[in-house]
Amino acid sequence: MNATEQKTLDASQARAAKTLKYERQLTRCRVSPCGRYLVAGGQEPLLHRWDLETEQRTTLEGHTGWIADLAFETGGKRLFSADYHGTVHCWEYAAAEPKPLWTIREAHAGWIRALAVSPDSNLLATAGNDRFVRLWSTTDGAKVRELSGHAGYIFSVAFHPGGKSLVSGDLFGRILEWEVGTGVQKREFDAKTLHTRGDDFLADVGGVRALAFDREGNRLAAAGMTDAKSNTFCPGTPAAILFDWESGSAQQLRVKEKSDGYINAVRFLADGTLAGQGEGSGGAALWFWKPGDAEPFHVVKGQSGYDLDVHPDGMRIVVPLFAPIGHGGNGRRAMKREEYTANGTQVTVFELFAKPV
Amino acid sequence: MLGTLAGAATACGLGQLLQPAVAEELKSQQKQVIFLWLDGGISQLESWDPKPGTVFGGPFRAIPTSVPGVHVSELLPHSAQRMHKLAVVRSMSTKDENHSTGVPRILRGDPKNRGVDYPYLGSALSKLLPPPENNLPPYIWVKPGRGGFIWQHAGFLGARYGALALGEGKPPIHIHRPETISDATDEARNALRIGMNKRFRQRRRDSEIDAYESSYDMALKLMQRKDLFDDSRLSAADIERYGTHPLGRHILQARRLIEAGVQFVQVTSYHWDTHGDNFNMHLDLVPQIDRPFAALIDDLEERGMLDNVMVVLMSEFGRTPKINQRIGRDHWPEAWSLAMAGCGLKRGVVTGKTTNDGAWVDSTPYDVGHLFHTIFTALGVDPHFTEYMNNGQPLPIAHEDCEAIREIMA
Repeated sequence: MNATEQKTLDASQARAAKTLKYERQLTRCRVSPCGRYLVAGGQEPLLHRWDLETEQRTTLEGHTGWIADLAFETGGKRLFSADYHGTVHCWEYAAAEPKPLWTIREAHAGWIRALAVSPDSNLLATAGNDRFVRLWSTTDGAKVRELSGHAGYIFSVAFHPGGKSLVSGDLFGRILEWEVGTGVQKREFDAKTLHTRGDDFLADVGGVRALAFDREGNRLAAAGMTDAKSNTFCPGTPAAILFDWESGSAQQLRVKEKSDGYINAVRFLADGTLAGQGEGSGGAALWFWKPGDAEPFHVVKGQSGYDLDVHPDGMRIVVPLFAPIGHGGNGRRAMKREEYTANGTQVTVFELFAKPV
Repeated sequence: MLGTLAGAATACGLGQLLQPAVAEELKSQQKQVIFLWLDGGISQLESWDPKPGTVFGGPFRAIPTSVPGVHVSELLPHSAQRMHKLAVVRSMSTKDENHSTGVPRILRGDPKNRGVDYPYLGSALSKLLPPPENNLPPYIWVKPGRGGFIWQHAGFLGARYGALALGEGKPPIHIHRPETISDATDEARNALRIGMNKRFRQRRRDSEIDAYESSYDMALKLMQRKDLFDDSRLSAADIERYGTHPLGRHILQARRLIEAGVQFVQVTSYHWDTHGDNFNMHLDLVPQIDRPFAALIDDLEERGMLDNVMVVLMSEFGRTPKINQRIGRDHWPEAWSLAMAGCGLKRGVVTGKTTNDGAWVDSTPYDVGHLFHTIFTALGVDPHFTEYMNNGQPLPIAHEDCEAIREIMA
């Protein structure tokens, strides 16, 4: 039994316990089922695997576009990754120097935006800008089924823990439930508050940026932003919606802090707490909601964050947080050319238990 | 004359293409400009100067164009196919990183400060080009929102060189004279208005009354050309090619106005200032300029007008290579791109180069003064010999330290 297993889960104690720095912006991160590795990717065609104990980093090469999403199979050894060029790779994540086991080229026309692995690890779901959800065999990447019904870019996809249903969320705030075995569309959940198109907008703003089920599959959380004010800065109100899976009834979750961006990721903790990570112009927050409450009971303010995953021990979460490097904002700010660099990331591990005295 | 010809062609049901004789007549006529302004700043990296696979390159790929060796963002597939008709400058480097000061600074050509308000480009050309032989306002601004007579664009030239803004591309309200007002009554009330204006003008600054008279005069001119705003005359194919979104409709309206003989039409699209969610926004925004821009170039060429009509597509600056905390790009005047086509310009040429990461100009940088020299020269106005005269003070029409961008001049 390790140290964390002796602790009591308490999100109100959330604190940054470890940071892994990187010189580019990472927007996706996942912790391996074995708990040893953290894999992250973002605004470059590379994946980075950190050993969470030693912090040693290994780079996985094979993608050609920005990394769109990552997913580990449940309890297994495989990692799946997708990029903005429509490519999916399957990796043996713990190998000394991981190479793709198999690859799907042009899994979607244009960007893939989301990945999910079925609870039995037999199916991989991908969703993209071509408005399709596709199911693939995790054995060899063969296409199993294609799900059509969305009218907008699909931002998120998640399997129900029971394995028989899959949900996908799009730009217009439509969440569709699909029967995994047949591909038949079964229900639609209304998350249209996560989409805004003002009269003077040039583009639709928002979308169901994240979807997550609780462990039992009784609740489905959808997240993004409501009431966008423009399509330029894209400011709005961070928002999450909690659906009762059986009845389909919805509860709008609120935030109290001033923040103006998307909630980019949501995850349920073992005690039913919902965690959500946001982004914002002047900082952002990691929010925690108790079951039944519309307002968060705890908030950790910080930089913009783009993803969120729960460590298999259930006592830690990981978030890729924005790390500014050098001058930002408009113009060059009198810097030398060589000082103009990309912004970076602090992948932060938050512990969710009382700090040992 | 030009308006009459184009109007006759439309009335005769000639459809998409003007008859060759008419096109020849149009070609012998005045120089005209369509100025497409993407307010806020389109990203050069997501349009004319892609740098895929580099640190600041973004997620989009580059695609080949009709000019061998030249690539643009995959968001510009239609423009890419017309690259052999375009002149692209990738080495714009300007001084202002703010919208509030940058927009007028760019649109006035950023001349040396002599304590006067220089005219915007449309007003400048209304003054500098030979007046068109038609009965239409020389400078029309098609824009979202409200319209009106924008005399401020004229600067020291005086209000009569201002812009007639057509909000949402629509004609000024009250363009239709009520049927209850006869010709005689209309003539009488106009005479009364002119007389009162004359009396009002005494001991007052000219510009106030000039602005009023100019706007009234322009409204009168447009009353004769209601056909220009009759959307039932548009073909379904044109509507589809230009798009039903505001920018597409407004560019199509600009084409109609240019065909009718308007000298300078500016089309403005706001909200390109993508500080947040830059890539999702450009994914949806860039196609809104790509397709109608390509359609416009095709139509002008097919009508034989591209030799006399210049098209300019630009913003006040580009966007930062660096990606911010909201996955946006901020303002970047250091290195950005613009596209031009038509009158006096080479076709199928790209000039200027940025560093491998796209952050800096890696060739001769061009400021907006160079652009104004280029536009004026290409339109037949020599900026080295032509001057404004403002209250007896000679003023250069473009920054005297700049030259035309010779690499793109025909």
